[in-house]
Amino acid sequence: MTAGRGTTPRAGDGSGPGFRAGDGSGPGFRAGNGGGMTPRAGDGSATTAPTRPRVRPAGRRAPGRAARRLAAPLARLTGAGPRPPADGSTTAHELAVRHRLLLALSALLTLSLFLSYQGVHADANPLRTSSAPAVLSLDTALYALGQAQQDAGAPAPTSDFQKQISVAAQSLAAAAADDDIGRPAGRQALQTVAGLITVYAVKVQQSQLQPDGSVLREAYLSYATSILTEERSGIQARLKDLQRKQRAAVERQTSFGPLLWTAWSATALLTLALGAALLETQRFLRHRFRRRYNRRLIAATVLLLGGLVVTVLFTVWTQQGMADTRALLDRPLSGRLIPDAGRRTASYLAHTGFRAAAAVWILIGGVLLMALAETGLRRHIDDYRFRPR
Amino acid sequence: MSAYPGGPATAAPGPSSRPGRRLVRTVTVVASCLAVLAAALVAGVRALEEEPTVTLLANWTGDDETNFREAVIAPFERKYHINVDYQGSNAESQVLGADVEAGTPPDVVVLTGPGELAQYARQKQLLPLEGLVDSADFGASWATRLADGHVYWFPLKADLKSIVWYPADVGERQRERAVRRPAAWCVGMGSGATSGWPGTDWIEDILLQRYGAGVYQRWARGELSWRSKQVKAAWTAWGGLVGAGGDPGLVRRALKTPYESASLPVARSPRGCTLEHQASFIRKRPVWQHADGRYESSAQLIFGAAGARAWEVSGDLVALLHATPEAKKLIRHLASAGTQRAWSEKESGFSVHADVRPDPGDAASAWHRSLALTLRDKRAVHCFDASDAMPPAVRDAFAEATIEFLAHPRHLEALLRSLDTLSRSRGLTWLPSVCDRSP
Repeated sequence: MTAGRGTTPRAGDGSGPGFRAGDGSGPGFRAGNGGGMTPRAGDGSATTAPTRPRVRPAGRRAPGRAARRLAAPLARLTGAGPRPPADGSTTAHELAVRHRLLLALSALLTLSLFLSYQGVHADANPLRTSSAPAVLSLDTALYALGQAQQDAGAPAPTSDFQKQISVAAQSLAAAAADDDIGRPAGRQALQTVAGLITVYAVKVQQSQLQPDGSVLREAYLSYATSILTEERSGIQARLKDLQRKQRAAVERQTSFGPLLWTAWSATALLTLALGAALLETQRFLRHRFRRRYNRRLIAATVLLLGGLVVTVLFTVWTQQGMADTRALLDRPLSGRLIPDAGRRTASYLAHTGFRAAAAVWILIGGVLLMALAETGLRRHIDDYRFRPR
Repeated sequence: MSAYPGGPATAAPGPSSRPGRRLVRTVTVVASCLAVLAAALVAGVRALEEEPTVTLLANWTGDDETNFREAVIAPFERKYHINVDYQGSNAESQVLGADVEAGTPPDVVVLTGPGELAQYARQKQLLPLEGLVDSADFGASWATRLADGHVYWFPLKADLKSIVWYPADVGERQRERAVRRPAAWCVGMGSGATSGWPGTDWIEDILLQRYGAGVYQRWARGELSWRSKQVKAAWTAWGGLVGAGGDPGLVRRALKTPYESASLPVARSPRGCTLEHQASFIRKRPVWQHADGRYESSAQLIFGAAGARAWEVSGDLVALLHATPEAKKLIRHLASAGTQRAWSEKESGFSVHADVRPDPGDAASAWHRSLALTLRDKRAVHCFDASDAMPPAVRDAFAEATIEFLAHPRHLEALLRSLDTLSRSRGLTWLPSVCDRSP
């Protein structure tokens, strides 16, 4: 065995490639401190660690208080704390580095994946249960009022007119269930439209009570028509305005914008980093401890890959369904196209609720991942927790 | 070399439960942190999307709505970072009624009718404005104190009625001749849900100018019968002026034309009409701007009096239905002299705020200054639009009756009888006073 080589509790261990003998000169190491690894039994350097004089080289300024404060938690996280004795073992230190790196990456990945996943799936449920039906309800109301206006000119009152007014009123009530429209501002707009529809129906009925061809009949019908069609303040203008806002809400819910691209890119990078760290740690353990596999780390790797594949698949399916829905609702619909669009929207967005609910499993999976990384390395780390007798 | 060959075998391990406890602790802490962080991030993003909102219902649409948004709402939103959801509709009364019945009224409402507001106040739907608005800023006739001692509304905008508009190039002789020609009057009765109100303005003004504020006030308070000779005479006089039941083309035009388009024939050549009996706000219409519209008091032009005996006025009155912090801020903003001045400068109406006095040197046009001074003239009697002061049911029936009367003046007796019956209904709220000085 090479003198000064990092020794381990097991004879002969630590001879793998990439392991630097007596490494103690890495950045961040300070003389005279145990370096997060108390000299213990099994560490050949424990009793021979020389003490360096606590003298700063000339011309070097001591780090400021703020810098020291900042450095402490950073060092704690990376394990780059006080270095081991100059000629001591680095195994414990390297284990600690990997241990903390795996935990940190797992935590970051879990958070990043959760937020990225939520960014797509959190909108799927409101889109399915609220926004898309609201757009179709407004389409229905507009179509019904158009039909009602055609019936309003009939020489005698017709039941078709009443039916269309009822359809319009019911459609507005359905649209009011939408989260966006249901807010105070949207609700007020809908109530105004509902009030106007009532007034419109009354004026049409007043016109129909007058003799056919009379001036009063024409007058009442003109008042009704202005209530329905007046520019900017008529019923149709208001419904179209609401519809425009609602379509914008659908657009917002279904778009995969720059923020989501950034979040998913960060998730991909963190996944690569964690995957690489898991493999490197596996390799490190294999060389250092002569164990072919660390089963817990393998389980963590499988969990990582499996979880990622599932979440990506779920996200692609949901996003595709949302994009199809947006394309379908992006134009005004009328007549029989409206119920047909309702059926197609329901099929596009089927199972999105289940997939959205899977978000909580990301957090659970993240905790499991960290638990596997922790237990996978803990045994080896604990091997170094010995004090000299 | 290891100082202790055999490593772990010779080592003295720590207590066996420590690693387990540490693991549990670490996992618990990390999981909790993750959950809290994720929840905080999601909640934070959602909270950022929310913006405090106040809902406002009024009757301004079209250009008036644009002016209102620019002069009043936009500065408020910029200053307080509160979103104002404005709904403007001429069916405001019906919309508000439905909202109140449904239990979801807007936070703030601007209504033209003090009669309707008094009814809501009686139903405890309105909130007193003491502490938010100094009623002394508007005078007792505008910010009326009700029987319970509270003030529930104040005017955001006021307008002068009892005036007749004509193009600048129409001389006095031509005007006098035009008065007796129904075709010379620009009449538009259409106003969507509130169609017919221009006719009520005519009848109210004729009654006021012919019989004075005393009779007018008794009628507006429900104390004078609709079938009284004064009221009946006012209806008949109006019918004669605008040709009720006469030329079918003229009647059709008057009934079907929206009030804001009534003056369009002024711009035609030859002119389709010359005179318009309408409130001061109509001067903002492009036709009257282009014709450099001038005004004359209806008392002088129609009845040949030396001057108006009294002026009919109208106002858009602000009331509070939900005392949210945002709504209170909006009320204070609307009652402030700065906001009232900004609104007045748009010439969509006038402010009667004590601190917004017309300045002879300001840039406002002569007609605007003159009307503003008349509105504030302490020697003149100002009476609120009677139909606006009446209970909403009577007001709406009155407007409907003017439409029918214009087409069928012979139905007058039946129409007035119906209005009398309606006015005697129980449960109606009549205002105790509609004029600013006791006649």
